[in-house]
Amino acid sequence: MNDVLTLAAEAVADGLFAVVACIGFALISNAPRPVCLVAGVLAGLGHMTRFVLLHAGMGITSASLCGATLVSFCSMACARRWHTPAEFYAFPALLPMIPGMYAYRTILATMHFLSATEAVDRETLLVDIAYNALTTCSVMGALVIGAIVPLFALHGESPLTRWYRRATGAEKRGGGHEAPPRQG
Amino acid sequence: MTTDERAKRPDVRQVCDFLQTFCAVMLADGAQTLRVERNARRIGMACGMAVELAMFSRHIMLTVREGEDGESRTVVRSVPAGGPNFLRVQALNALGWRMVNEHLPLEDAWREMEHILALPSVPPLRLCLLVACANAAFCRLFEGDVVAMLLVFVATLVGFRVRQALGGMGMNPKIVYLFAAFCASLTASCGVIWQWGTTPQTALGVSVLFLIPGIPLINAVQDVLDGHVLMGITRAVQAGMLIAAIALGLSLTMLLVEGAGV
Repeated sequence: MNDVLTLAAEAVADGLFAVVACIGFALISNAPRPVCLVAGVLAGLGHMTRFVLLHAGMGITSASLCGATLVSFCSMACARRWHTPAEFYAFPALLPMIPGMYAYRTILATMHFLSATEAVDRETLLVDIAYNALTTCSVMGALVIGAIVPLFALHGESPLTRWYRRATGAEKRGGGHEAPPRQG
Repeated sequence: MTTDERAKRPDVRQVCDFLQTFCAVMLADGAQTLRVERNARRIGMACGMAVELAMFSRHIMLTVREGEDGESRTVVRSVPAGGPNFLRVQALNALGWRMVNEHLPLEDAWREMEHILALPSVPPLRLCLLVACANAAFCRLFEGDVVAMLLVFVATLVGFRVRQALGGMGMNPKIVYLFAAFCASLTASCGVIWQWGTTPQTALGVSVLFLIPGIPLINAVQDVLDGHVLMGITRAVQAGMLIAAIALGLSLTMLLVEGAGV
């Protein structure tokens, strides 16, 4: 029980730090203040999810994919609420999950590899380089795929959404992700 | 449509002039290629014209045609250099929708666009502080301790000021990134030399991560997935060159630190 509580506390702390990181990084790209705040909250949620999944033993790529997918679904709700395209919330929210540390380790291992003299050292370092470089690429791909596949699948005019709307008889509220041009 | 309304409609030349500036600014500000294309078509439709658009990394080609076989006009326009700017992309996107939904006349849209282009960004000093806080928080996400977080905070302050100063002088972005990464990591390397805290290596690694061009990387992957493969690869290569510059700056620091015998 105590373990669960500790993990929960750590996860919340992780989320809060992700919020701060996201807001600062989004501001570098001059994100408007409301977008920053919403993206910050989404980033916290996404990073927290990834943290918990990583502790549950999932690999970093799959965990990032799940985190990004959650961010994407939440960003669609926000897009409907505030009439701004969903990517404006989802993409800054991915920034804290970008695998910068793996990129750094790739470079570090490459430098050591170039200066290593023993064949045994080189073999270990080569594995390090391959592992870190592949992780960087796969996490990067997983983040974007996780973020935009829901957007593609569920945007205003996609077959799935139309089917859902027909099935529930729900009225469409305009201004969401990609509303069709309304011409008067 | 009455003849009166027809007379008020903008001609091909005016729409073409507006759209070429609109698209070039949006691309330079880091909008996804698909979004630029959709916006251009949408605005064209609002003015009763068909729009075809080809986009490259530094240039766009734009054709505006009136009706099926009416007058048409093609322009090639260069895309100005620039970094991601969400505020402008969002405002321009909203402007596109207003032209469709509220039938905003072209002259008003021009005025609106000039207003958007003059929108201020975050004051430099405040931005610098916020980015430093963000990177310190980022350090915590990689299991850095409090000492490492402080070290990263100071290193980011230094690195970001260098980036702002050199960028303001209009220097080549790759050189700016190289120097910024070098200064930031050199500041953080104090922790490695004197073994401050338990995770000085993490501090050194994270100190340059605020420079990683995250938004261009995300845009690149999305462009590839959208089928704008050429634009996606171009953007990935451009981001990759910046990352190489960051790596070079970091390697310089590491060579110095290793030279110091640590």
